[in-house]
Amino acid sequence: MEPLLRVIELTKRFGGLVAVDKATVDIFPGEVVGLVGDNGAGKSTLIKMVSGVYQPDGGDIYFDGKNVTFAGPRQARDLGIETIYQDLALAENLDVGSNIFLGREIKQKYAGGLLHSLDRRKMRDESAACLARLEIQVPSLTQQIRNLSGGQRQAVAIARSIYWNARLMIMDEPTAALGVSEQRKVLTLVRTLAGQGVPVIIISHNMQDVFAVADRIVIMRRGKKVAERIAAETTPDEIVSLMVGAEAVHEMGVIPKALTQD
Amino acid sequence: MTVDQQAKSQALAPPARKSRAERLSTVRKIWPWAFLSLMIVLFTITSKAINDVNFLSLRSVQGILVYTTQILLLALGETMIIIAAGIDLSVGFTLGLSAVIAAEIMKYLFALQMSPWLVIPAGMLGGILICIIPGWINGFLVARMKVPAFIGTLGMQYAVFGAALLISGGYPVAQQPPYLGQLGNGSIIFYWLKKGLFFFKAPEAAQTADMQNILPILPNVVFITLLVTLVCWYILAKTQFGQHLYAIGGNFQAAVRAGIRVQRTLILVYIIAAVLAGIAGVLWAARFTSGAANAGETSTLMAIAAVVIGGASLFGGEGNIIGTVIGSLIIATIQFGLVILGLQPFWQYLAVGVVVIIAVIVDQFGRTLE
Repeated sequence: MEPLLRVIELTKRFGGLVAVDKATVDIFPGEVVGLVGDNGAGKSTLIKMVSGVYQPDGGDIYFDGKNVTFAGPRQARDLGIETIYQDLALAENLDVGSNIFLGREIKQKYAGGLLHSLDRRKMRDESAACLARLEIQVPSLTQQIRNLSGGQRQAVAIARSIYWNARLMIMDEPTAALGVSEQRKVLTLVRTLAGQGVPVIIISHNMQDVFAVADRIVIMRRGKKVAERIAAETTPDEIVSLMVGAEAVHEMGVIPKALTQD
Repeated sequence: MTVDQQAKSQALAPPARKSRAERLSTVRKIWPWAFLSLMIVLFTITSKAINDVNFLSLRSVQGILVYTTQILLLALGETMIIIAAGIDLSVGFTLGLSAVIAAEIMKYLFALQMSPWLVIPAGMLGGILICIIPGWINGFLVARMKVPAFIGTLGMQYAVFGAALLISGGYPVAQQPPYLGQLGNGSIIFYWLKKGLFFFKAPEAAQTADMQNILPILPNVVFITLLVTLVCWYILAKTQFGQHLYAIGGNFQAAVRAGIRVQRTLILVYIIAAVLAGIAGVLWAARFTSGAANAGETSTLMAIAAVVIGGASLFGGEGNIIGTVIGSLIIATIQFGLVILGLQPFWQYLAVGVVVIIAVIVDQFGRTLE
């Protein structure tokens, strides 16, 4: 099977700091890949290059077999690379429909195309249909996002990506701010997406989450990709030792329990 | 239903929040209306009692409305900018620049003995178009150079004032063409007692006795401001551009990531605000048949006050045109009312200041409790 996304020797520098150093990763259709690493390991920077927020200083991105460069997040999104950040990028002062259509609002034209206005009803109807497909319930579609719970917000962000035919979904710490039952719900949604052939990259600190949902785990340390493991063939202990580095594990003598159980 | 699905629907079931928060947000929404009504009632009673003046007479209502136009035209643009989490401190002096440029053009062309029907449109167009320059610079500073809006537009305020003073030489620009004053102080609808409504032009009365029976109903400047307000309402409430202003003010990063062309939108909104100030400037020139650099000196803060009273949040993302119209009416009513009561004009600033502070307190109070 051809990988949907190939990242080859991608590099990003911020001044003297090499945030991502020649990282090479393949993502195949239908898989969930956990991207793990300590703080500052370069996970987020790598993801931001794939989603067009940062422009790489070196290396190539292949999407669907084609070499691509992104001038901004819009180009990446146009190809179907959808990213859900920790802060969800929702406008809290707008309602659910407005957020799902943020930046891509449906317009209706009249007076021979001279005037156009937002087609709020259509946006609301489409949003309702999309949420229903994902079995997501929100109190009201006209409710401002600020009145929704963390899980509901996450669900709206996911629904937005799905609505726009995400072909690759990237999620940055999707469960970080959620309660236990909402975490589970989000992880179920992730598996649903993968089941529909949409690969998902999940950045997470939470080993439990990663092992619950990922098929494959990519480990980064100090900007470099240090290893890749099939989730079923590894253990949280091994992943953590790869994250913090063999020397560090050796110095500590044992892997502290706190690191493996989140 | 599987366990997972159950967890799902439980987790995402509608939260039980209502009552108090909702009631408070209703209070926040209606208090400007209530306050305006209260002001009108108070001024009506006191002006009757103290000066035996009818505060709700046609003339006095028209006076308030005409006074409102200048604040409102600035406040409309300010509303859009504040919704996008910006601010524009330069609009008052942009108004002055527009008035000066319009007056200079009209004075110059009129001296060349051109027809007033050419001179006046040329002057007004010139006055309005010149405002694109400071508007664009404001937008460029804020959107591209990342200068804080407060600082960038503060600088622009002085730059524009200086330019207007240089062009006018520091004096009011007089020697204006005829009809300009009629345009600025005339009415678009007249009511002739027992004869009905007349549009555009005052009906010609044969006898002077009849003249007293002809009442101007809708002043031109009020009519023009009404049209502009409708356009602004449409832009903000109905268009994609308006939606993007709310998105930028609500969550700037989200707007960027959603692919909204944030810089372009911001530059455009500062241009719109400046052009609206330009319209206010040429209307000022028409009303006073003159142009002066300090024409809108005190109007900037009055406009910002009107926007805040109208329910906009200075943190961005909240606000609307109807609120701003009410806010502008409140300020104009206070100012006009105090004058009718015969108080020194200095009281106006004190009163407006107090109302703005009340508005912010009501807003903060509502927000923290929500």
